[in-house]
Amino acid sequence: MSELAKEHPRAAVGDTGLWSSRVARRVAVLVVFGTLVLVAPWFLDAYTVNILVRAFFIAIVAVTVDILWGYSGYLTFGQAAFFGLGAYTLAITFSQLGFGPGQALLALGAAMVLAALLGALVGWLSFYPGASPFYATIISLVLPIVLVQLIYSGGNFTGASSGVVGYFSFPLMTETWFRVAGISMLAVAVLAHIAVSSDAGRLLRALRDNEMRCAYLGINTAAIRITLLTICAAIAALAGAGYAAFGGIAAPENAGFVFGTQLVVMVALGGRGMLTGAIVGALSIELASAYLSGILPYAWELLVGIAFVTVIVLMPSGLFGLLRAMAQRWTPWLFAPAPAVRLGDSAPKARESAVDAVVLEAQGVARSFGALTVLSDVNLTARRGELVSLVGPNGAGKTTLMKCLADGREASAGDIRIAGTPIKGMVPHRIVGLGLGRKFQAASVFETMSVADCLRIARSGRDKPSVLRSCAALNLPAAARSVVEASGLDTRFDEDARNLSHGLKQALELAMVLALEPDLVLLDEPTAGLTRSERNVFATILTRLVEQDRLCVLIVEHDLDFVRQISSRIVVLHQGKLVLDGTVEEVVNSPLVAEIYSGHQVTDDPAPTPTNTPEARA
Amino acid sequence: MGNLILDILTTAAILFITSAGLLIIFGVMKIINFAHAAFITVGGFAALVAHQIGLPPLLAPIFALIVGGVLGAIAEAVIVRRLYERPLDAILATWGLGLIMTQLITASFGRGVQFLPPPISGTVSVLGAEYSLYRIVLVGVAILIALAFTALMTRTRLGLSTRAVIMNESLAQGLGINSARVRLITFGVGCGLAAAAGALITPLTSLDPAMGLPFLIGAFMLVMVSGGSLPALALACLVLGGLQAIVSTYVGSVLGGLTIAVCAAVALRIRPEGFARV
Amino acid sequence: MKQRQTGILLTSVASFAMLASAAAADTPIRIGVPVGLSGANSVVAPSVVQSTELAIEQINAAGGVLGRPLELVVADDGSGAAGAQRAFDTLIFQRQVDALISMQTSAARNAGLPILSRGNVPYIYTSFYEGRSCHPNMFVNAWVPEQQVPPLVDHFNATYDAQSYFLIGSDYSFGRGMLEFTRAYIEEQGGTVVGEDYLPMDGTDWAPIISNLRGSEADAIITSTAGGAPNVTLTRQLRDAGIDLPYGNLAVDEGTAASMGSVAEGIYISASYVTGIDSDTNREFLAAMEAHFGDELRTPNDLSVPQFEAVLAYAAAAEQAGTTDTAAVIDALAEVTVEGPRGSISMSHQRHAPLTMYLGQVTADGGVEVITAFDAVDPGDQCPDL
Repeated sequence: MSELAKEHPRAAVGDTGLWSSRVARRVAVLVVFGTLVLVAPWFLDAYTVNILVRAFFIAIVAVTVDILWGYSGYLTFGQAAFFGLGAYTLAITFSQLGFGPGQALLALGAAMVLAALLGALVGWLSFYPGASPFYATIISLVLPIVLVQLIYSGGNFTGASSGVVGYFSFPLMTETWFRVAGISMLAVAVLAHIAVSSDAGRLLRALRDNEMRCAYLGINTAAIRITLLTICAAIAALAGAGYAAFGGIAAPENAGFVFGTQLVVMVALGGRGMLTGAIVGALSIELASAYLSGILPYAWELLVGIAFVTVIVLMPSGLFGLLRAMAQRWTPWLFAPAPAVRLGDSAPKARESAVDAVVLEAQGVARSFGALTVLSDVNLTARRGELVSLVGPNGAGKTTLMKCLADGREASAGDIRIAGTPIKGMVPHRIVGLGLGRKFQAASVFETMSVADCLRIARSGRDKPSVLRSCAALNLPAAARSVVEASGLDTRFDEDARNLSHGLKQALELAMVLALEPDLVLLDEPTAGLTRSERNVFATILTRLVEQDRLCVLIVEHDLDFVRQISSRIVVLHQGKLVLDGTVEEVVNSPLVAEIYSGHQVTDDPAPTPTNTPEARA
Repeated sequence: MGNLILDILTTAAILFITSAGLLIIFGVMKIINFAHAAFITVGGFAALVAHQIGLPPLLAPIFALIVGGVLGAIAEAVIVRRLYERPLDAILATWGLGLIMTQLITASFGRGVQFLPPPISGTVSVLGAEYSLYRIVLVGVAILIALAFTALMTRTRLGLSTRAVIMNESLAQGLGINSARVRLITFGVGCGLAAAAGALITPLTSLDPAMGLPFLIGAFMLVMVSGGSLPALALACLVLGGLQAIVSTYVGSVLGGLTIAVCAAVALRIRPEGFARV
Repeated sequence: MKQRQTGILLTSVASFAMLASAAAADTPIRIGVPVGLSGANSVVAPSVVQSTELAIEQINAAGGVLGRPLELVVADDGSGAAGAQRAFDTLIFQRQVDALISMQTSAARNAGLPILSRGNVPYIYTSFYEGRSCHPNMFVNAWVPEQQVPPLVDHFNATYDAQSYFLIGSDYSFGRGMLEFTRAYIEEQGGTVVGEDYLPMDGTDWAPIISNLRGSEADAIITSTAGGAPNVTLTRQLRDAGIDLPYGNLAVDEGTAASMGSVAEGIYISASYVTGIDSDTNREFLAAMEAHFGDELRTPNDLSVPQFEAVLAYAAAAEQAGTTDTAAVIDALAEVTVEGPRGSISMSHQRHAPLTMYLGQVTADGGVEVITAFDAVDPGDQCPDL
C-alpha cells in the first residue's frame, strides 16, 4: 500500500475524504433543486404548473429509459407500456372500487406488481444468452402495440380508445401535486444516481460496451438485464399511476408506441447515459411542446424530427452532454475527481483440485454448419500446470475448437468436460463458473470504462458488488496483479480502455481473465500484433502462470518459435481433425507437420486480419 | 375454403412485397431501416404523381422504385453512412428520418386521404370463388420480385460484390470491392423496393401520409424471423401471413392483427435463428 | 391559504392591471376551441375552425354578446388524450377562456373532462359520437347512435327487405359503440346480425372479413370505421371484391365520398347535415362561408356546421343569462334554441339535441342525394342523471 501510494499520489486520499467532498456537492445540488421545487409554484402561473406536473411524471419514465438504454445499452420503446399499465391500474382501481386510502395503496401496489411481472416476462422473452440487441428492441416495440390492442378490446372496463375517465382521485391542489411530483422525480433521480454510480451500476455500462466479454467474465448478463427491466418497469408504472391520479384519465396513448418513441427522443436530445440529460430532455420537450406545438402544430413534429436526427448523427451525447463537455473544459473545478484507485490483494481462491488435475477433457468433438464440417472427432485432454499450444494452418478449426470449449451450445457432437463437469448446452457464464477463462483474439475490453473499472468488472463475480456504494479499492489475485504491474497498466488506472495501445489492451484483457482466478485459460492468438519485447514479457508471464500458479493454458498461436519457447505440449489441427498431439520435440520434428506447413505456407497468412472473425465483430 | 386459400396466398404476397426492401437492407448492412414505412408512403405518393403527369399505371411502381431509390441513396450518403458502427443509433436516425419525410409529405400533399383510380379492377373466378383480381395479380408480382432479386444477386457483378460484402466485408475490401458503394446501392435498392411496394398496394389501401406505418411492425417481425434470407422471408410470409388469415377468419380480425408480431416474437425466443436455415 | 396570499403578493403589477380591467365592458369574451389540427382529425379540423370564425365574426358584427366582442382562441389537441390535456390546460388556465366549444375525438374529449371540472367553464361538444358521455358542464349538439342508425336500418328493411346484416367496424370506441347500438336496433326490428368483425384502427387488410362476409349471405352491410384511411380502404376492398350489397356507412361524409369518386357510389349515409339542405338559413350560411373564405373554403360538413351553431347557442345563452358566469350560462344553454343551417337546434334533452336526420345516397359523381328527411329525431336517454 505505501509503495503504491508513492506512485499514485491521489491513492493516498482515503474513502472518507472523498465521501465528504463528492457527497457534499451532491447534497448541495439536491437541496438547491428540492427547494426550487417547493417554492416554484408560488412564482409560476397555473398553466406552467399544470404542464410541469405531467412533465415530472414523464421525466421519471425518461430516467428509466436512460438507465435501460443510455447505461445498459438496451434501446427500448417499451417503457411507455409500463407507464400505461400503471396509469390504467390506478384508473381502473379508482373507477371500480372508488377512491380511498386503501384503494390508493392497492392501486399503487398493484401497478408496481403487475408492471414488474410484465417486465420480467418481457425480459425473459428479450434477453437470453446470445440474443440479438435488435431482437430485444423489436420486442420492446411489440409490447406497447399488444398492450394498446388489449386496452382497445377491454370494452367499458378499459374504456377502449377513449380511456378511463371520471373517477375521483387524491383531492390535492395543483400546487401540492407539483411538489409531490417534483420531489418524486428528484427522489427517483437520486436513487438512480446512487445505483448507477455504485459498483453494481458499473456492470450496466459493461453490458452496454461489451456483452460477450461480460458473459465470459462469468456474469449472468440475462439475469441482470431481466432484473433491471423488472425494476424499471415497476418505477415506470408508479410514474404512470401518478400521472393518471393527477390527470384524472388513463388513455391508450399513455401506453402506446408513439409515446415510447417520444421518451427515447427526450433522452437522446437531453443526453443519454447521464440521468440529468434524461430529465432535462423530458422537461424541456414537454414545456416546449406545450408552448410551441399550439403555435406551430404543423412544424413542431418536423422540428423535433430534424433535431433528433442531427443529435443522433452528430452529437450522440445530446445537448446536455455538450453542455457538460463545455463545462468540463472551462470550469473543471466543478467536477470532483474520480476516487483514486487503491490496488490490493484479494484473498486467494481455495483450489479444490490437485496441482495436476485434469481440467479439460474433450471426446469426439465435432462442429458442422449445415453440410460443411469444420471440426470432426477431436479428442483432447489437458491438466493444470500444462501449456498446450494449438497450431495449424488457417481454417484448420482452431478458433472453432476454442469456441466449442467455451460455449456448450457450439459443438455439434461430442462430450466436453471442464473440471469434470460436462458442458453440453451450457451457456458461457456458467462454464466460466467452472473455472474457465477465455481471452479473445481481438482484445475485448470495455472501451468506455477506465482500466480500473474493467478490472473491477472482472472481479464482480467473486466480490459481490454493492448497489449503494462505490469502492475505491481494487483487489486482484496475484496472477492478475503481476500482469497489471509487468505491463505498466498500474500507472494508467484512470485512463479509458479505448485510449490504450493494442498491446496494453491485450494485457488488460489477460489481466481481466486472470482476475477470475481460472484453472483453465483459453488464449486465441494473444501475441498477434505485439512487439518483440511485449512478446517476451508475455512469455515470462505465461510461464509463471503455468509453473507457479499451476494454471492450464490452451493457446492458439501462429508463431512457431514462440510456441516452441513456451509450450509443454503441442496439438496440431488440420482440416478440422486433430492430427498430432505430443511434446514440443515430437511435433517440431514430425514430418507430418512439415508437410502441412510447407503445403500451406503460401496461403497461410501469418498476420490474419483480426476483424475477420465473427468474434471480433461481436 | 377456396377463399381462405386465396386469402392466405394474397396476404403472404402483400407481406412479402412490403417487407422485401427492409430485408435486403438488413441482410447486407445489418441495420434496421426504421424509415421503411416512410418510404412505402413515398411510393404511394410517387404513384399519385405518376398518375398526375400521365404515366400509364403499369409504370407507376417503376417510377416509385426510382424515386425511392434516389431518396434512399441520398439518405444513406447523408445520414446512415455515419452510423454503421452504431447500429442501434441507425435505428433511431432512420426513425427520425421517417418522421421528417412524413412531415414533408404532409406539407406537400396535405393531410387528407387521396385517391387513385385502380389500374385493374373487378373479380376473377379462382378455386370456385369470386376473388379480387388485383390481389391475385399481387401474388405474381411478389414472385416476380423474388425472381428478379435472386437473378440480381446470382447473375450480376453487383450481386457478387454484395454477397462478398455480406460474407466477409474486410476480405471483400481486400479483393478490391468498394463496400461503401455496395452499401449505398443496397440502401437505395431497399428503399426503392419499399417505395415500389407503396405504389403496388395503393389500389388496395388509402393514400395518406401515414399509409406506410401499418406495414412496419409486420415487416420488422418477418425480417427478424427470416434472418436476412429471401427464401426464408417467403416462407415466413406464407406461414405467419397464413396464420394471420386463419386467425382473422375463424377468431377475429383484432387478434389476427397481432398474430404475426406475437408468433414471431415467441418463435424467435424458442428458436433464435427463426426461419433461416430451416 | 397562506401560499395563495404570498402568491398574489408576488404577482407582478401587470397582472393587477389585467385583473382590474377584466370587468371593463369592451373586454372580449374568449371562446376556446381545442381541435385536432394535427393527428387523425387534422383533415376536418380546418373546416371546423373556419365555421367557428364565421360565427364569431357574424356575432361581433351584430354587436357582440352582452356588449362585448367574442374572441376565438384555437389550441391543437393532437386528436388524442395527451394533446387534449395540454390544449385544455392552455385554454382554461393560460388563456382563461369563458367557454369551450369543440369538435374532438372521444379520447380527446374524455381527457379534457377532468380539467374541465377543475377549470369550471361551460363546454359544448360538437362532434357526433357513440353517446352517453355526461358531465355537468357539457352539452352536445351533434348526433348519437339513437339518431343516426334507425333511419338507415328502417330504410334497408323497407326497401330491400333486409333480414340479415353484416357489421364491420374499426376497433375503437366510436366503431364499437355505433355497431353495438346498430345490432340492438336490428334485433329489435326483428332482423339478425349474421356477422360482426373489427379491424384495428391501423389495419389495412380487410380480406378475411370480406371472405367471411361472402360466406354469410347477408342482405346488407353496415360499417362504422374510423374516418379517413380505414373507411377508404374498406370501401375500396369491398368494391374490389365485387360486393354489391346495400351498404350503409356510418362514418362517411360528403367530402370523403366526393374524394372516393365512383367507388363510393351507392353508399347510404345518414347525417344531420348535408350541403343540399333546402332552407334559407343553409343557403345564407353557405354563401357567407363562400364569401368569407373564397378559395380557402373547406366544404362545410356534419362536423363544422354543429360547431357554427354551438357558437350561436353560447351567445344566446350568455345573453339570456345576462352574464358569462358558468352556472348561469349552463342553465341557459339547456333552454335556448338557435336557428342554424341544420334547422332549429335546442340542447334540451338531457344535454343532447333532437335533430332532423337526412338519409342520403352517394351518386356517381360523388355527391349526396337526399332520399328522406326525418324530423326531430330524439337522442334517447343519454344522460338521465343531468
